[in-house]
Amino acid sequence: MQNDDIRNLWQAQGSGDAPLTLEELRKKGAKFRTTIARRNLREYVAVALMVPYFIYFAWTAGLPLMRVGNGLLAAALLYMAYQLHRRAPASPASGELAWKNCLAFHRAQLERQRDALSGIWSWYLGPLIPGFVMVSIAISIPLFHKSIRAGLLSLIWVVLPAVVFWQVARINKGAAARIQRQIDELEAAESNSDSGAPE
Amino acid sequence: MEGKPQDQRYLEAAAAYGAALHRLAGAYEADPDKRRDLLQEVHLALWRSLASFDGRCSMRTWVYRVAHNAATSYAISQRRSRASAWIGLEEVSAVADPAEGEQAAGRRHSVDRLLALIQQLKPLDRQVILSYLEGLDAAATAEITGISPGNVSTKIHRIKNLLTQRFQEGVRDAE
Repeated sequence: MQNDDIRNLWQAQGSGDAPLTLEELRKKGAKFRTTIARRNLREYVAVALMVPYFIYFAWTAGLPLMRVGNGLLAAALLYMAYQLHRRAPASPASGELAWKNCLAFHRAQLERQRDALSGIWSWYLGPLIPGFVMVSIAISIPLFHKSIRAGLLSLIWVVLPAVVFWQVARINKGAAARIQRQIDELEAAESNSDSGAPE
Repeated sequence: MEGKPQDQRYLEAAAAYGAALHRLAGAYEADPDKRRDLLQEVHLALWRSLASFDGRCSMRTWVYRVAHNAATSYAISQRRSRASAWIGLEEVSAVADPAEGEQAAGRRHSVDRLLALIQQLKPLDRQVILSYLEGLDAAATAEITGISPGNVSTKIHRIKNLLTQRFQEGVRDAE
């Protein structure tokens, strides 16, 4: 079988019928925008529910350490919400898929994923840690006053989340490194190009 | 801006490239149900994009860029859940053809074998082989993919060798 035969065979398949009518496209387009808006709304609602909770304890808790810890947790959640809002891909511009060639588009997607994964300490897990540690210590202090054993047992609520945080960070770091290798491959493909094709 | 010019452009593009988009979806997704969903996603992306069509490139380049970019996004998200590996054109010759050793052509259709070959390629190589199969020249493929015409020509040379090797073997097996 010659290559031209293969091309003819390839081009002979496939129906030219559009899978959606214009009306269905309009409906799906509207649903797409609603889905994005709902996703953003869910994040803001979660923050709106949690922040007053921590502010309440920051205001009313007896121990100063507990008050500061809850205040820091509320501030960390607000910071996280701001970062999520800033980093969320939101609705991609409708023409973005055509303005970038395939290489540039693919690389931009991978870079966004890599940055989201590798920056998780600086904007997602990291800001929660000071408030979390302070609240945990504030909970442990009265227990230590009761008995050393009870105090030590209460520290399990510090150690367990710390292990989970560490695992999440480790997995994300590995995933970011794998994505970086794919970016390197794409950059190599770009640099192999003797003259730049138009973007 | 989702008014009549956008709809008109979409209808023209769908009429001219609908069959090519159908084939493209098949090259990115093997499962028939998911393929249908992907094809709808590609058409939706195309319709949305045409609200901002500004003539900066030809309609053909626009349509193929949107389709490949939408399908690549889909393939990346699917790959995360399936953890399947993609390979490059350089490596694909070393990987056994699933139909090899069978009395091939009669048992497995050539198009299916071609699709199976394409579906395991990395996105960039997949885009080049699809452009070749659709009859696009090196310059048009370069404009769509972003690699130089020289690099496209090198890849096409490899693709031709690969297809010759795979499909002539298939014919000999059948004989």
